[in-house]
Amino acid sequence: MTNTAANGDMNAWRREIRTWLEANVPDGPLSDPEKGHIGDDHRDWEQKLYNAGYAAIHWPSEYGGQNADVASRIIFQEEYERAGAPPRATLQGLMLAGPTLMRYGTADQCDRWLGPILRGEEIWCQGFSEPEAGSDLANLKTSAVLDGDEYILNGQKIWTSGALVSDWAFVLVRTDKQAPKHHGITWIMVDLSTPGVEIRPIRQINGASGFCEVFFTDTRVPADNVVGEVNNGWQVAMTALGFERGVGRRTYVKFLHELAQLRRFIVDRDLQEDDAIQAELGRLFRKVMVYKYHVDRTVADSDNGKVGPEASFNKLYWSEMQQELYELGMRVLGGFAEVQDDHLSFPQVREWQDTYWYSRATTIFAGTNQIQKNIIAERVLGLPKEPRK
Amino acid sequence: MSNMFSEEQLSLRAAAKDLFAAECSFETLLAELESDAQPDPKRWNLMSEMGLLAVTVPEEFGGLGLSVSDLGLILEEVGYAALPEPLMETAALFVPALTRYGSNEQRERWLPAIASGEAMPTYQPMAAAGAAYGTIADVALIEDPKGLFLVEASQADIMSVQSMDQARRLGRFDRGTATTLAGPQAVAELKTHGRSAAAAVLNGVSRRLVDESVDYAKERQQFGRPIGSFQAVKHLLAEAVAGVETARPAAWAALADTASGAEARHYAAAVAKSSANSAATTASYHALQVHGGIGFTWEHHLHIWLKRGKALEELYGAANELDRELGSLVLEAGDLVEEFGPKITTA
Repeated sequence: MTNTAANGDMNAWRREIRTWLEANVPDGPLSDPEKGHIGDDHRDWEQKLYNAGYAAIHWPSEYGGQNADVASRIIFQEEYERAGAPPRATLQGLMLAGPTLMRYGTADQCDRWLGPILRGEEIWCQGFSEPEAGSDLANLKTSAVLDGDEYILNGQKIWTSGALVSDWAFVLVRTDKQAPKHHGITWIMVDLSTPGVEIRPIRQINGASGFCEVFFTDTRVPADNVVGEVNNGWQVAMTALGFERGVGRRTYVKFLHELAQLRRFIVDRDLQEDDAIQAELGRLFRKVMVYKYHVDRTVADSDNGKVGPEASFNKLYWSEMQQELYELGMRVLGGFAEVQDDHLSFPQVREWQDTYWYSRATTIFAGTNQIQKNIIAERVLGLPKEPRK
Repeated sequence: MSNMFSEEQLSLRAAAKDLFAAECSFETLLAELESDAQPDPKRWNLMSEMGLLAVTVPEEFGGLGLSVSDLGLILEEVGYAALPEPLMETAALFVPALTRYGSNEQRERWLPAIASGEAMPTYQPMAAAGAAYGTIADVALIEDPKGLFLVEASQADIMSVQSMDQARRLGRFDRGTATTLAGPQAVAELKTHGRSAAAAVLNGVSRRLVDESVDYAKERQQFGRPIGSFQAVKHLLAEAVAGVETARPAAWAALADTASGAEARHYAAAVAKSSANSAATTASYHALQVHGGIGFTWEHHLHIWLKRGKALEELYGAANELDRELGSLVLEAGDLVEEFGPKITTA
């Protein structure tokens, strides 16, 4: 697939993106989607990106993208973070639902769903995990029983990020209870306004409600909403997750911003002369720059979208680094680490606290770090799998 | 292998890898460790025949005229093989230093001889107790707060220094009869060379420790199955390989920046050595742990890499020194994203 985005001139591509962002990134943060809806300001931003051709640069041009290769995508992401541009409201659609439709969907399905994803008109969430199916996702139990030309869904999803503000969910359901568990799963698209869908936000330890439980009670979904084949959902899901793996949503630029805030705290707390703090700051800077070089290598070694084995180190690496970074910040804040009274504390402490707790989740979501290490050991090093009963 | 390298770089690496595999077997290395005799010059001669000694020697002096950025993979192989000879000191330190700071006469006297294998140089950094192969080398560059000094072995007092890794054959050069080659500025530049190069060698040592441990974990059976099938062992090795593999590109980048004289080269070298140190600690601890009791024996050979790694960790930039330097850099910098973030190159 030829990359029309950069046309080989990466420097010019970077300049193009940087110039556009400088002219268009809104001043100040956008509204908080956790209030239960995506604000107009988010929609406006998505529309702006769409009009400029930047909504989904990695999509093929025939679907509204720019065929961007891995290198161009990383450059775009670096510039996006450098400019402090708003978080995307449509990531699940752009990164997972959309590419999955392009790979496995029918022409009708692509016509129905891709445009609204691209234009930020329909927001998607991911219905994978269940109370009994976390690391062992194939253990999922939400059932889908065929009745005429509809499936009747019963069950529950959990940790569904953004469900409260979403219009649609792509859901993994069990369509064959007799088959071995990996072989009885189907990927189906569900309109969240369908009767029988109940969404309950889950309060997180930092007080936010970023994720939800989604209950299905006799929810009727058209059989035409199955993507890929019935009972082939596991393969569809693994392919979808593979689109994500290796080309991270985070570049070192985001971490440079966080390091800058950490430095501000060190100065605010008058700890610049503390040797131990200085050394730890240096260690974190090293980790951030190593991340840059690592991603550069991952990009160089990717071939037509396929990433090499070193991509498996990505998530393990940045999640641990982010935790260390926020941990140091809490240590620097000292007695202020727990304070939430704005008039007693420093600016940005609340935000640091919230993100500190979020960083604690990074070793859990998107595949726990224990699972990542298993994958590295088995697929990169070729160590034998543990025998299962 | 990585797409980041040219055909030439890859073929030099392959040549080094094959040569070292043939000439650095466990038996050979152990025998050399146990012997006080002068090492056989055979390996050094083979390296010169292959052009490995000439990589960074300018063409006009009989070399390949390449830069330190072409050394990355070769230096990893040096570490991977636990090569006793001072190839790193030669190609990444002595030769670039003499090329840049030496007089024409000095360059003509030594560079062709090094390229052809007739003369073996070494390098004595300030922090080190002695130079690698100092008791064997013909010529050395000594670092001192005042600058770089060139000294011929035949005219110097060289004190043999016992190392826990006796293959290094340390020799301490006295500055006495040395000629001044350059001032303190040169020491700062060579520090960047040393850190980047030592990082690459150290990553090779660490990768060897990982590979040996993976092989062992696949073979060794307990409780009716290979120990590598247990999650506890898997996780140790996953951590070790993740550490090495994320450190490697940092060393490559540092060597490239050093070669090009990029402004980033000083902190890139510190980042490279710091990450190599961290990866080496993890690899060293986890490798011995996975090997269990057998890894603790002289006969088993793991110690060759454990000791080489430990020595290199503390040379050419030890952890605390690098961390403080980088911390100070961050504290004194302006906007971090502007200074360390992506740049648009003006054509």
